Amino acid sequence: MKTFKGGIHPPEEKKLVKDNPIVDFPLISRFYVLVQQHLGAPAKPIVSAGDEVRKGQVLSEPLGFVSVPVHAPTSGKVKEIGRMVHPVTGLLAPCIVIDADGKDEWADGLPLERDPFSMSREELLNAIKSAGIVGMGGATFPTHVKLSPPKDKPIDTFIVNGAECEPYLSSDHRLMLEQPDRILQGTRVAMRILGLDRATIAVEANKPDAIRLLREKAPADIQIEALKVKYPQGAEKQLINALTKREVPSGGLPMDVGAVVQNAGTCAAVWDACARGIPLIERITSVTGRGVVQPKNIRVRVGTLVREVIEFCGGLNEAAKIIFGGPMMGIAQFTQEIPIMKGTSGVLVLREEDTNITLYSACISCGRCVEACPMGLIPSVLSKLGEKGMWEKAVENNLLDCVECGSCTYVCPANRPIVHFVKHLKALSRAASAKSKGA
Amino acid sequence: MISSILLLGGIGFLAALILGVSAVTFAVKMDPREQAVLEHLPGANCGACGYAGCAAFAHEITTNAEAEMACPAVNEEALQAISEVLGRTLGGSAPLIACVRCKGVPEQTVNRYEYVGPKDCRAAQLVAGGSKGCRYGCLGLGTCEAVCPFAAIMMGEDGLPHVIESLCTGCGKCIDACPRSIIQLIPRSGNYYVGCISKDIAKDMKPLCKVGCIKCGICADICPFEAITVSKDASAVIEQSKCNRCGLCVSVCPTGIIAAVRMPGKVRISPEKCKGCSICEQVCPVEAISGKVKEPYLVNEGKCIGCGLCIEKCPADAIERIIS
Repeated sequence: MKTFKGGIHPPEEKKLVKDNPIVDFPLISRFYVLVQQHLGAPAKPIVSAGDEVRKGQVLSEPLGFVSVPVHAPTSGKVKEIGRMVHPVTGLLAPCIVIDADGKDEWADGLPLERDPFSMSREELLNAIKSAGIVGMGGATFPTHVKLSPPKDKPIDTFIVNGAECEPYLSSDHRLMLEQPDRILQGTRVAMRILGLDRATIAVEANKPDAIRLLREKAPADIQIEALKVKYPQGAEKQLINALTKREVPSGGLPMDVGAVVQNAGTCAAVWDACARGIPLIERITSVTGRGVVQPKNIRVRVGTLVREVIEFCGGLNEAAKIIFGGPMMGIAQFTQEIPIMKGTSGVLVLREEDTNITLYSACISCGRCVEACPMGLIPSVLSKLGEKGMWEKAVENNLLDCVECGSCTYVCPANRPIVHFVKHLKALSRAASAKSKGA
Repeated sequence: MISSILLLGGIGFLAALILGVSAVTFAVKMDPREQAVLEHLPGANCGACGYAGCAAFAHEITTNAEAEMACPAVNEEALQAISEVLGRTLGGSAPLIACVRCKGVPEQTVNRYEYVGPKDCRAAQLVAGGSKGCRYGCLGLGTCEAVCPFAAIMMGEDGLPHVIESLCTGCGKCIDACPRSIIQLIPRSGNYYVGCISKDIAKDMKPLCKVGCIKCGICADICPFEAITVSKDASAVIEQSKCNRCGLCVSVCPTGIIAAVRMPGKVRISPEKCKGCSICEQVCPVEAISGKVKEPYLVNEGKCIGCGLCIEKCPADAIERIIS
């Protein structure tokens, strides 16, 4: 079975939630739509307090190419443009607060009926951008940017990422099982945009039911590939390497080796945007972990408070840590008063015994992290440089190629927070380059 | 035996010859003054002067006749010595000292979460902007202590860094290292600073920290020199060039966060010079001076705050500071 070099085998823990069908989260009375839910240039709110909005209405204007708008998750009234803790940065960020009127009325003309396969490339890209679609695996990079590579980078490979290698999470798995047509159609739209006549959907072998179903349904030009179960199989560069044996050069992007990767959920959203004009206002999220009473896969609107989501799942049970995303790369949260975002693939609640917060000790130079690193780096050296804040030396040791997958930290017997050290070094190097630019 | 001695002796002689010749021909001509200057510099290579280290700066100041004394860490004595070596008078900059503008000890503040990562404030700041409830407050992991080349910062048992006055040279390394820009350089001569930089309005700040600046503005109102500015969304700031170190602000601050790097000396009235005019009694803001007209006045040392207003006003120059 195809795979990459390095990586780890953490306990999968998917059985907690993988067999639970997707349930709709009920319409609630208040939504908190963060303005910045994507990676890239900021967006500016275009509604103000007191405005009536309808479901799917545009709420913000993107400032730049690498930027997308957000949309109203339901019909109602804008209460205020307030500030809310942003789940990614942990700082207060602008947020559009909407009081729902309960009617849940679509904005004028939505949803519409059109045939994406008769639309031009530009029309499709525009539809994707104006629907506010971002990478739904968690990185939230605007999708229209990824689907419009520069002319000097010819693309010959399109991969749909259904690996879902993060432990615990099952949102992509459920989507592939329950709505395979949306994914397949979205894949064909993306193929049309990229001008390709074939694509690959890559799924880890621990989802045999999804692989079987997709193979049954898939047209001849879409190939379904089963991948070895290994973390981080779903990381972009590792996925490309596993399927094509190509290696993204140091400091490069997938398009440098002629590849584009999109998450399965993103493909489904692309289909909704192109065929029906529906913006990205809801997503499928796994609410899981032993710290929540009833783990569930829910279809939830962007802007729903995590507190309400957890209440819907029976509340907390000896919870010690709430994470947005999976346990490997997710972001720990310090409050439940944060909204679900476009990139929230999971809400993971861990008990104290599921976490490891023991203090770290000195590196014993065992080399396990070197073996685990899927990027071929030497994490032990980076972690030691991190302790001293020696970012220049770390950059020489390919610091910037680290994808922060957490494999090294997972295997470290000294409990060293290696990814944290890497993030620290990256921040120091960014600050230094910003300073030298300013001077 | 003999041959061994001759052989080894010969090798030794040859090597000595080569060394001796090369010492003369390849000698690096170095200004002896440079070495002398270097001996008087602090030798911490902190880089605050803008040069690569003490040696680089010693070279610059010796070779360039127009170079000023850029080392903030050099003391009066060393400055004198360097001036003698170079044969020109060097003006030292006003000596500075670091002050930590946060008084939020753990008992008075709240944390948003428990932080368990690397012991470095800059790394802690990356995790949701730091664990401390107040986003302006000291994270207390001691990055400033670690970078100080003079060991002048010590993390106290109260979880905050403390500047050791006698060791701090004002090089400013800690300022660059602090991710929250809490540390500031102020003149050494006993000036005051406000121990809070929070921009939060009082209502937002109070639940997070009991000892932050509540922007009440009492200090700004009482300051006789208009040296303090405060607004709704910015902590009180003391403009050091205007501050006359009267210390009135310290006594009125309701949260007690205004402090001095070194308390100024109290005053004494010379009984021989005092003519008993009573002006000092009138200007004293804390009623520390009392006496009878036409008789020498007395200072109550317990009450005197060392503001020095009386010194300025005394027509007979009878008042001076007690140097402690």
